[in-house]
Amino acid sequence: MKAPSRSSLALRVTLTFVLVVACATAGLGSYLYRAFVGKIEQRDDRQLLGKLRQVQLLLARPDAADVVRAHPHYFRDTMSGQENSLVRLLAADGSVLADINAIHEAYPLPPSGGASPGVAAIRSWTGKDGTPGRVVAGSARLDERVVTVVVARLYAERSLMFAHIRQQIAAAAIVGALLAALLGTWMLRRGLRPLRTVAEHAALVRPGTLGQALDVAHAPAELRPLIDALNAMLQRLHEGFVRLSGFSADLAHEFRTPVSNLLGQSQVMLAQPRTRADYEGLLASNIEEFERLSRMVDSMLFLARAGQDELQLAREPLAARDALEEVASFFDSIAEERGLRLECAGDATVLADPDLLRRALANLVSNAVRHADAGSTIGLGVAVQDAAVELSVTNVGAPLDAMHLAHLFERFYRADPARSNADGSTGLGLSIVQAIMVLHGGSASVQADGTRIVFTLAFPTRNHHRHSPHQPE
Amino acid sequence: MTILVIEDEPKTGDYLQRGLSESGFGVRLARNGRDGLRIAEEEEIALVILDVMLPGMDGWQVLQSLRARPSGEHLPVLFLTARDEVPDRVRGLELGADDYLVKPFAFAELLARIRTLLRRGPVREEELIQVGDMEIDVLRRRVKRGSATIVLTTQEFALLHLLARRRGQVLARSLIASQVWNMNFDSDTNVIDAAVRRLRRKIDDPFPLKLIHTRRGMGYVCDVEDAPV
Repeated sequence: MKAPSRSSLALRVTLTFVLVVACATAGLGSYLYRAFVGKIEQRDDRQLLGKLRQVQLLLARPDAADVVRAHPHYFRDTMSGQENSLVRLLAADGSVLADINAIHEAYPLPPSGGASPGVAAIRSWTGKDGTPGRVVAGSARLDERVVTVVVARLYAERSLMFAHIRQQIAAAAIVGALLAALLGTWMLRRGLRPLRTVAEHAALVRPGTLGQALDVAHAPAELRPLIDALNAMLQRLHEGFVRLSGFSADLAHEFRTPVSNLLGQSQVMLAQPRTRADYEGLLASNIEEFERLSRMVDSMLFLARAGQDELQLAREPLAARDALEEVASFFDSIAEERGLRLECAGDATVLADPDLLRRALANLVSNAVRHADAGSTIGLGVAVQDAAVELSVTNVGAPLDAMHLAHLFERFYRADPARSNADGSTGLGLSIVQAIMVLHGGSASVQADGTRIVFTLAFPTRNHHRHSPHQPE
Repeated sequence: MTILVIEDEPKTGDYLQRGLSESGFGVRLARNGRDGLRIAEEEEIALVILDVMLPGMDGWQVLQSLRARPSGEHLPVLFLTARDEVPDRVRGLELGADDYLVKPFAFAELLARIRTLLRRGPVREEELIQVGDMEIDVLRRRVKRGSATIVLTTQEFALLHLLARRRGQVLARSLIASQVWNMNFDSDTNVIDAAVRRLRRKIDDPFPLKLIHTRRGMGYVCDVEDAPV
């Protein structure tokens, strides 16, 4: 089963081409051959009838009977121009009056065609050595008696000619096929050259050169869709690659600060004898950094798995209001400390994985608590839209520049780089929110209106299967 | 009670041995699976902490051999691993692991899991919990210190109940978030700190004897003691 799929396209096309040329040549040849053979046979039949007529006319002469009877040799000499021509005269009682048959052929006697037989009266026969022959019988008068004249003929030289023509046709077909093979191979090689060029270019593509598109200018029109598709693929790979390498670089940077803290403060502490409280303080501080690193690793793994579709959702219908209240109660104490109020509004049923829904909401509320103005209210809401249930978290805080909005869901993106490490956040919370929404076939979005910032989670209400988990919008 | 730790990574093995000893357990440390199996066979072991990635014989194989012997058939086994893909989890549980902890983990979390595994059978929830002069009536959800009744919100009560139920045990913040609020992921630790602060304002601040203590870097513990160790 594997061989045909691996065989060369050029070979298959050439073979097909050769077959077509051979069939066409042979077909045309045999058509012409048949027409030629038909014409020759017609001519020969007319000659045969002419011969019969000649004999009939000869017998009609007054001295014919004498000649036949007394000078059979003369009759024979007159009649037999060639060895292949056979003539026989039969009396009404069937007795043979004369028989010119130098080569002793036995041929059938066809029914008499009358005084002037037509082509329909001619019969075929086959000679001793397989040579085709034709025979015709007609009536004539000899001495007031009706006799039957039989004229026959063998076509040995004609068969030879036909065989020769057949050979020539076969030879022409073979030569044509060979020429077609050569021509086909050459044409295909020429025609496939752009493909080889594409392959050569593709072979040069490296992670660093993903952005360079394959040359489409010199490609034939048939290859353009392929090259365009390849270029589009390269472009997507390039974007993904840039994002991933950027991500790795960001990750390394994010790890740098806590690792640097751990290293530096531990070394400073060990440089001199310290009090027990100092050591304990160092260890506790180290643990805080370790916990942050650990959270970062967990978040990274979560994002990696969500991106590779490895997470299984346990979706069930949930009262969205309950989820909001749960999360609000979790943040109640810290909100109170910062003089914030948490208010829940609305209700609807949402189809979601309860753990992941809580995680997404908790990340949004955590973000809101961090950025809300002291004394303000954080709103947690549910609203039913046309095709989605929307859960939103709203807070009032320092106005956010529009240029930041589009990037908020990116990993490690911080609107204010200076405060990146101050609050123990990993910079991955909103990316996780988005990943969770993509897993649910929904979307996460953010709008800012002056000092009000609204994060919205849209869960589709129609039975929406997760066909394309990698399309966030 | 003796815990068998099978762990090849030197630092992990050392700190587990130290931490568990200081928490009142006898500890036997094996650096590879074969030694571990031999110790499990020869000595009275209450629980096994088993690393999945071991040289030679890996954790899965150790677990299989252990389960195949009469002495190890019902021995509680807690797996430690740095990989937590779902198939790994399923495999561990199929082979008969009793619990599964992913590195890195909080030491308090490990202690909590060990204590849960060592508790034979379901424990009857106490209806009345007494810590110092604090009395918690679990059914009526009432808390008193001495003669003073303390009014708590539902969440505050759930938090206090958890701490008091496990009195003397350090509870990691992640465990508190998971048990009280159902937040089964590492979230803002500040949130737990704020919740404990609020609880303390009601439970501890008005009274000279403090019952809820911070273990820096570890979590919180509820007990009668003067100062954190």
